[in-house]
Amino acid sequence: MPNNFEQVYGEFLRDESRQVGYAESIVFPKTEDEIIASVKEMSRKNIQITTQGARTGLAASAVPFGGHIINLSRMNKVTGARYDRENDRFFLKVQPGVLLTELRKFLLNKSFVTSDWDEESLEALKYMEKNQWFYSTDPTEASASMGGIAACNASGAKSFRYGSARDHITGLRMVLADGDVLDIKRGQYIAQGRDFSLITESGRVIKGQLPDYDMPSVKKNTSGYYNKPGMDMLDLFIGSDGTLGIISEIEIELNKVQDACWGITIFMPGEDKALDLVRALRKEIRVNNIDIDLYPSAIEFFSNKALEMLRIEQKTNPAFGNIQEIKESYHTAVYIEIEGDSDEEIWAGVEKLGDIINSLGGNEDDTWVANNPTSLEKLHEFRHACPECVNMKIDNIKKFYHNITKLGSDMSVPNDKLKEVMKMYNTDIKENNLEAVIFGHIGDNHLHVNIIPRNMEEFERGKNLFLTWAEKISKMGGAVSAEHGVGKLKVPFLEKMYNEKEINEMRRLKKIFDPAQLLNRGTIFPYVEGEK
Amino acid sequence: MRIIVCIKQVPGTNEVKMDPETNTIIRENVPAIINPFDTYAIEEAVRIKERRGGEVIGITMGIPAAKEMLKEAISLRIDKGVLLTDRKFAGADTLATSYTLSKGIEKIGEFDLIICGKQATDGDTAQVGSSMARTLGIPYATDISKIIDIKEDKIHCLKITDDGYEEIEIKLPALITVVKEINMPRLPSIKTMKIAQKSEIEVLTLNDTDADEKRTGLKGSPTQVRKTFVPVHEVSNEMIEGTTEEKAIKLSEILLKLKGKVK
Amino acid sequence: MASINIIKDKCVGCRRCIAACPFGAIEVVDKKAVIGEKCTLCGSCTESCKFNAIIFERDEVENIDLSEYKGIWVFAEQRYGQLKNVSLELLGKARELAEVIKVKVTAVVLGHKIDSLGKELIAYGADEVLIIDEEWLNDFNDHIYGEIMVNLIEEYKPEIVLIGATSRGRSLAPHISSTVKTGLTADCTSLDMDLEKRLLVQTRPAFGGNLMAEIVCPYHRPQMATVRPKVFKPLKPDYMKQGKIIKVKKDPIEGFVKLIRNIDNEEGINLSDAEIIVSVGRGIGSEKNIRLAQELADALGGTLGSSRPLVDIGWMPYSRQVGQTGKTVAPKIYIACGISGAIQHLAGLADIETIIAINSDPDAPIFKIANYGIVGDVSEILPLVTEKIKGLNK
Repeated sequence: MPNNFEQVYGEFLRDESRQVGYAESIVFPKTEDEIIASVKEMSRKNIQITTQGARTGLAASAVPFGGHIINLSRMNKVTGARYDRENDRFFLKVQPGVLLTELRKFLLNKSFVTSDWDEESLEALKYMEKNQWFYSTDPTEASASMGGIAACNASGAKSFRYGSARDHITGLRMVLADGDVLDIKRGQYIAQGRDFSLITESGRVIKGQLPDYDMPSVKKNTSGYYNKPGMDMLDLFIGSDGTLGIISEIEIELNKVQDACWGITIFMPGEDKALDLVRALRKEIRVNNIDIDLYPSAIEFFSNKALEMLRIEQKTNPAFGNIQEIKESYHTAVYIEIEGDSDEEIWAGVEKLGDIINSLGGNEDDTWVANNPTSLEKLHEFRHACPECVNMKIDNIKKFYHNITKLGSDMSVPNDKLKEVMKMYNTDIKENNLEAVIFGHIGDNHLHVNIIPRNMEEFERGKNLFLTWAEKISKMGGAVSAEHGVGKLKVPFLEKMYNEKEINEMRRLKKIFDPAQLLNRGTIFPYVEGEK
Repeated sequence: MRIIVCIKQVPGTNEVKMDPETNTIIRENVPAIINPFDTYAIEEAVRIKERRGGEVIGITMGIPAAKEMLKEAISLRIDKGVLLTDRKFAGADTLATSYTLSKGIEKIGEFDLIICGKQATDGDTAQVGSSMARTLGIPYATDISKIIDIKEDKIHCLKITDDGYEEIEIKLPALITVVKEINMPRLPSIKTMKIAQKSEIEVLTLNDTDADEKRTGLKGSPTQVRKTFVPVHEVSNEMIEGTTEEKAIKLSEILLKLKGKVK
Repeated sequence: MASINIIKDKCVGCRRCIAACPFGAIEVVDKKAVIGEKCTLCGSCTESCKFNAIIFERDEVENIDLSEYKGIWVFAEQRYGQLKNVSLELLGKARELAEVIKVKVTAVVLGHKIDSLGKELIAYGADEVLIIDEEWLNDFNDHIYGEIMVNLIEEYKPEIVLIGATSRGRSLAPHISSTVKTGLTADCTSLDMDLEKRLLVQTRPAFGGNLMAEIVCPYHRPQMATVRPKVFKPLKPDYMKQGKIIKVKKDPIEGFVKLIRNIDNEEGINLSDAEIIVSVGRGIGSEKNIRLAQELADALGGTLGSSRPLVDIGWMPYSRQVGQTGKTVAPKIYIACGISGAIQHLAGLADIETIIAINSDPDAPIFKIANYGIVGDVSEILPLVTEKIKGLNK
């Protein structure tokens, strides 16, 4: 009874992409065995399966289009810990339904439910007492699930310093399409050239060949399967959008919290000057012979239009009343976050940053410096206000045009293409007479362009523009999805990045693990029935 | 205009944690911060200065380390910091504190306006402002939420009360305490932090002022802390379990039973 | 000069005093406690020492003749001829204290056209009422009211003066205490008599309620305290009770602060007097869910309250804020929806019979003090409860 299903489980037919799908059945397993049972049943009946975490994804990966849903939100335990004494490294084992907010809370309070933990884990926990640890992957959506983070190789602002989810995942347990389990640790299976061989829990050997395509040389990329000759096979599964198996456990590595953390929002008198500042922070250019000893963990960007939008909102909407006053003279903003061992150490770098800002034609007085948790929180609110404001505007326009969804891009380019890509965005937005705000992780040349359509016609124009950008950015050697994953929404973009043969290579790889293509069908590439 | 802002260094309250085993406050690594209410006082003083010209001087009574806090206040755009510090000031209650601060202010000299935060987050007494105005013999008004206008000889403002607002006019020189509704404090900029780094804080000890030792510190404090203890909340505690529906039914029944007793 | 000293021979370095020090001023160096510069001479450490190794040396104090001061005063605050409830609550407490030390309770009331208040104050526990009724006292003014109080105190010499910690009371009280140069304890949560020393023992929260301090004022009179509304209960009024009403005449005083106009809240939200409060916090999720709490409040005949974060982001007006920087409330039933229960919020909960907490976070501190707790989604549970209440009410 599809209608009845929709009434009871309606919320499980959509995610943050605001796409709505349909399904016939759903389960909420609490253990790996329950996942296996469900997968075996579906496999027998040849019914497709969509896997869900917290449904906070923006690429519709978790939106089902028929079949069965396996929702992992009740697998939400931290199941163990491991401490590598020799190298002072700390690891946690988590189930896929653990939310990032929960994980952060556990770590902050150093408090875990340990009733099911083994000896080694309990022993490891003792070493946690000495230091404060944190998980560095920080997507803006903190209610994301750990399974989702691994599945789309999420990253966030601090990935400029810490890298993406991939860099902090050291092991996965996955339930494969036939119900067999693959337990894979980093370093355990290395491809020999393009040949790989894996052994499942049941002792089955999976042999295969990696696809024949090259990934773009950008730092942030989660567009299609990770693929490199001689790669660690664990990396294939991270960012595979649930198309190769269902994650039942993840081992993540933690980082030590540093004693000092500052945030600075810098307002530059023009976009070009802001881009120069970014390049100076990345040490690509040297300004006025000033050597700067500053290593930001995040470099973020706010376009002139983004500031304008916030400036208007903060005057009228009390929800944004807590952000600092954005002066009329502020044109474009760059936000950096710096971690260090002491305030003095950070200050030494910030002092020089002031000189660089002045030398670039800015003014070191046009900055907001946060050097304690309370004021840092204020700058975070400012940063989050951008996407919140966009969502609000989209929800408003949706009242008049129901079919409008969020139009936010997630593409990245190599470092030397930063100015080129910015020019492309600005020109194309202007030529198409669209309203758009740009913000995001400029440190990795990874910007979210958000088009705010005023009617259906603009929405369509915006969608087409994204497709054009996907093509142009692929030519620049960029990635069409840097952190959200391809999911279902960005399938057309990936087709701009890779040719048909290369996409077929991906499909071939999937079939090695999932011959009937039951798992997250239509994700990453379109489902094509038939041929083996 | 010469404006004086009174500032207090308080423990960063966000991080006040209780040790569940010993039931004491965990004080380790709790950084000292500018009393949050004082940041509104600083911002308002600076805004008046930016409009009318003049000088803003911050004053605090505290331990020698409070110098750093005054520097931080300079990074929030005040012009100068004065620290009153002396072992003899220790143990001061609100009366002795008000007296000592008043003596420090007399040393600073002429002023048009004193601005204080409505209260400090560690003591929450909200007494020092009014008390200081009394000691200095100037008019005062507490809980100011908006300055409508300020002239040479008077200030026109809104005061929050339990019943709403009062629109009032005060003759200058005067003292006001401000609430958080009054403004949104700006963060420091790299430039103002550089200025703060280079600034010198004026330090005054008991002997540098005309204060009477008998009226400062513990000796000048009529009130004494006889004992401190950690409050215990003992309650009968029942968690309502079940499905959402069951929980709702149980809660409604409890509420109706309790409500019967109310009426 | 006063000081706290460690007797090295007695100190064993047990660190108990470190835990007791609210200012983090004590360290142990070479197995002996050392008091650092952060010490404020609060004396918390002296009691904690099991070895009598900490000595608090206080200075000699000049003796003032304390016996001249007799009686307990309550400053009776009124507005538009209506007494504030807190003043009546204080009369009840004053009555109780007066029985212990066998003295009179006097209410002092200032204003204009307030003749009728004398009887009411007597009914609520005063033995005697001082009424200063003048046209120029019509509007409250810190300076004018303060000077008159100072004047009366110097003339009548009460040993205790209690003032309600309303916005006006909190502003007025320091004026009086600093003029007569006596101690003042703010926001007391309990008042007791130490009969032996004939001292008023004033208990108040410090550090946002994490710590309670007992404060005394041994050598100065009067002993002054402010108390927040709803902390004490008023007596049942006895209109047959006899008492003395004294009308005092005073010459006009200049005020320095000119009242241009009163802008009273229109809403008439009176959280402090509400019997049932449904309060919302950050855990409510989205602004539209506030309506769900309002609906439950309506169904129960209660009032809507809020924790600070929602006021900060502008979802709720300040007038509805419960907590340390908001209102102190004392309803019979308090329903906390999505409120984590930070100590600053709990500081606003006075004498509540039943606290009910709904929060999706099972570790929320609010559950520690709640009589009934539900772990769950506020937006799911509230509508169900409202529906049930409406159904059962019929």
